Amino acid sequence: MNKCTDSDIQEMLPDLLHRALADGERQRVEAHLATCDSCQEDLEVLRTVKSAVVFAPSIDVDSVVRQIPPYRTIVPATERPARTRVVSWLVAASLALVVLGGGSVLLQSNGSLASRSRIQQPALRIAKVPDATKPSPAESVARSRTVVQPIIAPHPQALALAADADGLSDGSLVQLMNDMNGFDALPASEPDPVISVDSGDSL
Amino acid sequence: MNPSPEGRPEETDMELINRWRAGDGRAATRLVGRHSQALARFAASAGERDGIEELVQDTFVRAFASLDSFRGASTLRTWLFTIERRLMLDRRRAERRSRETVPVEESDHVSEYGALDGLIAEEAQERVRKSLDALSPTQREVFTLRVQQGLSYKEIAEVVGSTEGAARVHYHNAIKTVKEFLKDE
Repeated sequence: MNKCTDSDIQEMLPDLLHRALADGERQRVEAHLATCDSCQEDLEVLRTVKSAVVFAPSIDVDSVVRQIPPYRTIVPATERPARTRVVSWLVAASLALVVLGGGSVLLQSNGSLASRSRIQQPALRIAKVPDATKPSPAESVARSRTVVQPIIAPHPQALALAADADGLSDGSLVQLMNDMNGFDALPASEPDPVISVDSGDSL
Repeated sequence: MNPSPEGRPEETDMELINRWRAGDGRAATRLVGRHSQALARFAASAGERDGIEELVQDTFVRAFASLDSFRGASTLRTWLFTIERRLMLDRRRAERRSRETVPVEESDHVSEYGALDGLIAEEAQERVRKSLDALSPTQREVFTLRVQQGLSYKEIAEVVGSTEGAARVHYHNAIKTVKEFLKDE
């Protein structure tokens, strides 16, 4: 038996079986079949396969339909993702955390920069300036005026009060310590560049 | 449009879908009744042995749940086949995974074919089944969709996620194999 080379006809054989051909095409295929043993054999094979349908269980339509939820209770595909919505909220919350966290870190770093720059600003220098109205050396020490003057700190973290302590005599140091004991508190805000403190007065 | 047994013109799938959307539950019954056996046959032809009814049910539940995404570009049946095929692939993957963890017993093979052997009584049917078993999974899908379901190559390509050309090649190779197998038997 010669193999048929008319692939158009061969491809239409299943459609002939399912009666899916238009009249013109059906007549053309039938005319070909009348003269082509190979296609007749193919058609026979297809018939056998189609009729020998592999066992398929009968489907209980009602039980299937019972499982189908009514249309209105089905969440449309576009709105469906309840899970996706939760995920979106989580993502949004994470982003907010990142932004707030980043912002606070930025603020903190700016603050530390600012305080560092404050430290590097002219520091305070405490110097004893002899009071001209008190000529006695002892009185001069006792009533000396403490003047806080700006100095350049030798180290960013150096304490301004200790910056010039080496130059003070023992008596001046004692007086200074006493003066400091009389302070209510150290100023929380940035001190003025020059503060004069009279030895007998409390702040 | 084919006439219904009552003489009225048969409603199209799209008309039934719209009726179901409007709250008519009987439209769902009509749609399931119209397509369920074709889905069962396709599953059986594709080599499914157990749980075909459950598979068909899952196919309809999924299809109705996402019916809004069905635009009617293909026929409803083609779309249903596509969903069913995906479910079959999921099942097979799950089975493969469970086989990797659970040792396969000899009785599994026996039970897999035993039920079917009892149901396919006639020798001719048995021969056809064996000839289909000789095909690759894709060849078998293409061949059964073409011969048993009468789908066009375009529709088959849609169902199996391929091209029309590839579907044609699969069909020609399949019919050659089946023909030779039936001749040799």
